[in-house]
Amino acid sequence: MNRKHLYVILTAAAVALAACGKKEEAPKPAAVPAPPPAAAPAPAPAPVPAGVTAGAVSLGSAIGADKKVTTATDSFAKGDTFYVSVDTTGTGTAELKAKWTYQKDGQVAPVKEDTQTITPTGPATSEFHVDKPDGWPAGDYQVEVFLGDKLIATKKFTVK
Amino acid sequence: MTGKMPDFSNVQSGSSSTATKIYEVVSGDSLSKIAKREYGNANEWTRIFEANKDIIKDPNKIFPGQKLKIPPK
Repeated sequence: MNRKHLYVILTAAAVALAACGKKEEAPKPAAVPAPPPAAAPAPAPAPVPAGVTAGAVSLGSAIGADKKVTTATDSFAKGDTFYVSVDTTGTGTAELKAKWTYQKDGQVAPVKEDTQTITPTGPATSEFHVDKPDGWPAGDYQVEVFLGDKLIATKKFTVK
Repeated sequence: MTGKMPDFSNVQSGSSSTATKIYEVVSGDSLSKIAKREYGNANEWTRIFEANKDIIKDPNKIFPGQKLKIPPK
């Protein structure tokens, strides 16, 4: 093999290598795909209708572990404890209020007013109760139950 | 003529729920006092502490205005 041949071979090899090199050129890192045009922010999930809704309101002289009235009545004895239970559905934070009053001869006397703030995650039952160590005076009473500022039930009852 | 209205000043009351309640601490409160009132047992203060570890670091230090979660009884 003379020098000319060697030159031709080397040149061909160089060309081949150059061609190969070109093929094997490391692919440029795929350009980080431009973030899809900022997808318009997905509409915020429709907020769950906020709030807690009141259901049944019951009055009685005893409740169970589930806070529901077990002995419903509107006529109490002097030594009874008055219970009022309120069923609610929904989630969120809600304030429940029970306002107990005594009524006689057209006059109204406040007995007790209590509130509780609840944060239910589903159906719930809440209760309020009052008792009087020396016994309730006979007469007419009522309890008003509020959810927030809204009156949701009025229960009238008597003590005999 | 209207009669004298009875005295209801000694009426005792309470409330509870199957849902978690929110209680706002007032001056003079302690976890055991709150547990006594909410659960009828002061020793159950740990339940309230556990439910509020995100805002109570020292169970002996709670402050008026703090809103505590009171797990259902």
